[in-house]
Amino acid sequence: MLRYLARRIAYVALMLAGLVLITFVISNVTPADPAALAAGPDATPEMVATMRREYGLDRPLPEQFLRYVGDLLQGRLGRSIQSGNEVMDDLSRYVPASLQLVLLAMGFACAVGVPLGILSAVRRHSLLDHGIRVLAVSGVALPAFWIALLLQLVLAVWMGWLPTGGQLSIAADPPPVITGMVLFDALLAGQWAIVGDAAAHSVLPAFVLSLPCLASVLRVNRAEMIEVLGSDHITAARAHGVVPRRVVGRLALKNAMLPTLAMIGLRFGWMLGSTVLVETVFDWPGIGLYAVNSAIASDFKPVMGVTLTIGLIFMLANLLVDLAYGWLDPRTRSA
Amino acid sequence: MDRRSFLLGAGAAVAASSLDPAYGFEREGNRRILVFSGNQPVPILDPHQRYDWSTRMMQRCLYDALVRYDGTPPRVVPWLAERWETSADGKAWTFHLVGNAKFHNGDPLDAEAVRFSFERGLRLNKGISWMLSKHLKPGNTVALDARTVRFTLEQPYPDFLSFMPLWFITNPKQVMANQEGDDDGQKWLTTAEAGSGPFRIRRWDGQSVMSLEAVPDYWKGWPMAEADRPAGVIYRVMRESSPRKAALQRGEVDVAAGLTPDDIDQLGRMPGMTIADVPGAAPFAIMLNTQKGPTADVNLRKAIAYAFDYDALITIHKGAARLMDGPFPVVTEGRITLDMPRRNLELAKGYLAKTATPEGGIELEFLHIAGHEVQRQIGLVLLAALQPLGIKVNLVAQPWPTLVGRGASPETAAAMTAVYVTPVTTSPDTVASQYASSAAGQFRGIHHLRDAEIDRTVAEAAVELDEAKRADLYARIQCRVVELQPVIFCMTANQQWAMRGYVKGFQSQPLNLTGEVDLFPLYAARA
Repeated sequence: MLRYLARRIAYVALMLAGLVLITFVISNVTPADPAALAAGPDATPEMVATMRREYGLDRPLPEQFLRYVGDLLQGRLGRSIQSGNEVMDDLSRYVPASLQLVLLAMGFACAVGVPLGILSAVRRHSLLDHGIRVLAVSGVALPAFWIALLLQLVLAVWMGWLPTGGQLSIAADPPPVITGMVLFDALLAGQWAIVGDAAAHSVLPAFVLSLPCLASVLRVNRAEMIEVLGSDHITAARAHGVVPRRVVGRLALKNAMLPTLAMIGLRFGWMLGSTVLVETVFDWPGIGLYAVNSAIASDFKPVMGVTLTIGLIFMLANLLVDLAYGWLDPRTRSA
Repeated sequence: MDRRSFLLGAGAAVAASSLDPAYGFEREGNRRILVFSGNQPVPILDPHQRYDWSTRMMQRCLYDALVRYDGTPPRVVPWLAERWETSADGKAWTFHLVGNAKFHNGDPLDAEAVRFSFERGLRLNKGISWMLSKHLKPGNTVALDARTVRFTLEQPYPDFLSFMPLWFITNPKQVMANQEGDDDGQKWLTTAEAGSGPFRIRRWDGQSVMSLEAVPDYWKGWPMAEADRPAGVIYRVMRESSPRKAALQRGEVDVAAGLTPDDIDQLGRMPGMTIADVPGAAPFAIMLNTQKGPTADVNLRKAIAYAFDYDALITIHKGAARLMDGPFPVVTEGRITLDMPRRNLELAKGYLAKTATPEGGIELEFLHIAGHEVQRQIGLVLLAALQPLGIKVNLVAQPWPTLVGRGASPETAAAMTAVYVTPVTTSPDTVASQYASSAAGQFRGIHHLRDAEIDRTVAEAAVELDEAKRADLYARIQCRVVELQPVIFCMTANQQWAMRGYVKGFQSQPLNLTGEVDLFPLYAARA
């Protein structure tokens, strides 16, 4: 198992190195000049040169790359040329906001997706099953951007039930920082008005973000449940007179949940990447919006920082899933 | 936390979110807080490091300048300086400050603060420094006494005053107290302020929400009745136009900038909504590559200019635009009107006949900003307009940074590039310099025009003190530019904002950049 663990960690390190190289190359092959953009449209060549010097962009590319890697090894992600801030400082402010969204979306996807998957499997080929499957396909197929705008229009503008965007009411003071996640911080501080406000602001973005994950959880859970419900030990349990509720809830679900849980783990990193669209529509101040604003300004260090962060989380989730599988099924260790 | 208090708290939270939605109309006590929304963040607040429309809008709230622009056409009016004079040789400018100006921390705003701010701006060599770096050298700004400051220029420069509204004054004591290493307080001033303006910072996240509170005893006084003075203003960044429109309809924001012509049209028909529709000053231009490819031939540039359908520009803007009648923007001093090319296919074909491709049969790239619907529509107009000449147009959408990056060299610049060229001051030197060789490669000079006559006249006009001679020189530059046709001069679109009907005090100013609004005189009328 230890050798397996070492091999997997080496793969992650290799992939991370590849990601660093790719993001650096992509950022530097575009014709945009970040220094000229940051210096402004009327900047003189001397002003652009000042900017270039200050951010080390006047150095040869290989040297810039080595410096970047050196900084990474010391836990630094460079400085944003637009704001002058350390990217790490920015990320420490924006990652918690995105995490809050992802955790809420993940919670909702599991809370709704698993029961619907069970229901759909138990009532296979019924009208309810067909309805749930349509929901599952829609969740994957409909573009998040479109659903977000539609819900915003209906629930925020027409019905007036929810705010259009943001993390908190703009005039509200945020709770004291504990986790950085406004909703949970307000909860921990017992600021109930802020809890309500933050919850109301979270509903639409978390729901939109959860849809593809919900659909996947539902589909995987349904498929696994159908397979397990048709297996010999379930037939034997039924023949012994075990009540249907116990058969489904205890015996079948326990076996069907394993692949579902693995899939949920993998979805975590994917969901963090999906925040780019959702946060843009709902003006949610997380890493997705940060990445968009930076990309528009050709501010490459923050874009690379966000890419690496999401990539790292994705790889770690993959690693955990791999390790869990290796532990449960030793045959996979040699794969 | 026990179960009982958790349930009580949860109940209170639900009640709070349903009965008193905090996302409704914003207020503090009995005063309202105005909420403005636009699409652009404010990553750096430091007035000497950066300016763009959203940044300058915030800077104007927090800082004061010696003078400011007022009215239409814009004229320079006193602000921190109550009067000023120039020496006979046009090199020395002396400003006399008001006696009651003070910074937010109570420090008096004196001549030393003015000297420090100009020296710092030049020293940092960022943001605004291009305006004066050629004319005002470090050490040549002197505080003569507490209320008098003198600038001594390298050469006469009549446009000097036109840049003064953009140089904001910072408190030297605060800046130096927050210096890190030798950074001149740059890091601190990124998100903090050391100003004297009508507002101060309450909460700052340059990416999403910037909340400012009014300074009740602002040294200049407030333009509205005391009872109407807002408690503060909030700038809320909303990246997409559609949610911005939704937030305005919902009452979450009071004023919105950067809406599409269709959104403005729809909002204008809604009860309780007002549209501010004022003539803008930012010309839209299609820059032609004068150095490489077919457009290096002036005859082809003329052919394109005469084939283009200018009336379609007005239709695209639903009437809210004016065709350009000269190469200088309407706000620029020394501007003259000229007979500009209008659609005339016979003339266009005549010019095409003088080129190496008299029958057309060429393809030209039209590069515009990705996601900019108006520019895409203009591209389609161009595509249709050049068909009779046998010229194909390849519409290419790129992000703004790529567009500017490609324009830096004639080798990579597109044959035709769409840009808005916003004037930041009334200075004719700034506008005329766009056509000088020195501008080639900057975004205002994507045409890469090189003409010795223009270069010579621009240099001569910049230092000419005699107004009549100066006007004549700028007139010659404008005629020459039209003759060489490095640009298809299109239109200036109106500046438009949508706002709730209760918002009062809105003042238009053609030199406002893109979505910029002066938030100082705005207030919400009482019901």
